[in-house]
Amino acid sequence: MKMEEVSMSSLDNSKLEGLAQDILSDLVEDACLGLCFEVHRAVKQGYFFLDDTDQESMRDFEIVDQPGLDVFGQVYNQWKNKECVCPNCSRSIAASRFAPHLEKCLGMGRNSSRIANRRIVTGNNTNNKSESDQEDNDDVNDNDWSYGAEKKAKKRKSDKVPFIFIVKFKSINITHTHISVCI
Amino acid sequence: MSKDSQMRAAINQKLIEMGERERLKEVLRAKLVECGWKDQLKAHCKDVIREKGLEHVTVEDLVTEVTPKGRALVPDSVKKELLQRIRAFLAQHATL
Ligand SMILES: [Zn+2]
Repeated sequence: MKMEEVSMSSLDNSKLEGLAQDILSDLVEDACLGLCFEVHRAVKQGYFFLDDTDQESMRDFEIVDQPGLDVFGQVYNQWKNKECVCPNCSRSIAASRFAPHLEKCLGMGRNSSRIANRRIVTGNNTNNKSESDQEDNDDVNDNDWSYGAEKKAKKRKSDKVPFIFIVKFKSINITHTHISVCI
Repeated sequence: MSKDSQMRAAINQKLIEMGERERLKEVLRAKLVECGWKDQLKAHCKDVIREKGLEHVTVEDLVTEVTPKGRALVPDSVKKELLQRIRAFLAQHATL
């Protein structure tokens, strides 16, 4: 059927109005059906009654709007001025800086300065052969800090560098540490 | 088929083809959410479900219980707005 068959002559105003009402009625029915299917699905999936909570328990989750408290009602910034004592060097460190400090202090990060620090403490004694040997051994046995212990041990065996090399490398490390400390 | 029902079928066809039916549906849906119709009906659904039992309630149960109420609860302002759009469409497309 073509639209051309629908002519204005066959449509007086009341018919047109009736048609409009019918279309609206269809749309409303569609909306009702849609809701019914939506609810039914929610019931069968088990989430329809999830938003049914009693006033009592809802009160626990209300957003707190008071000065000095965050939305959960906890004291805001309560950790701001807290300090932690480093178990390694016994210095007090601001809580927010503690993790990065500990990483450096224990020599776990890539900017590890533990060996260098210890050398500074013992008086920049880079040419002391026995001490360097000791430290080297310490490093080799230091496997408990890493998960790839075996791998590392193997690697160490393979890269046996002449002693003089190690000393040079370590002194570079020291100067590097000094610079970062000064800044 | 009478001329009247032919005309109705043609208009409805046009309504769908032009995408106007989907647009009207979407407008209505949004309005019904906005005015709280959906929440009211959902609350009614909860009563029906409690009565029939969570395990046993069917879509048919919901449709029979909810549709009459749903029709009655559509605010006049929403009806009026939708009717205006529908009339405008009819005026444009039923006069070829
Ligand atoms: Zn420390």
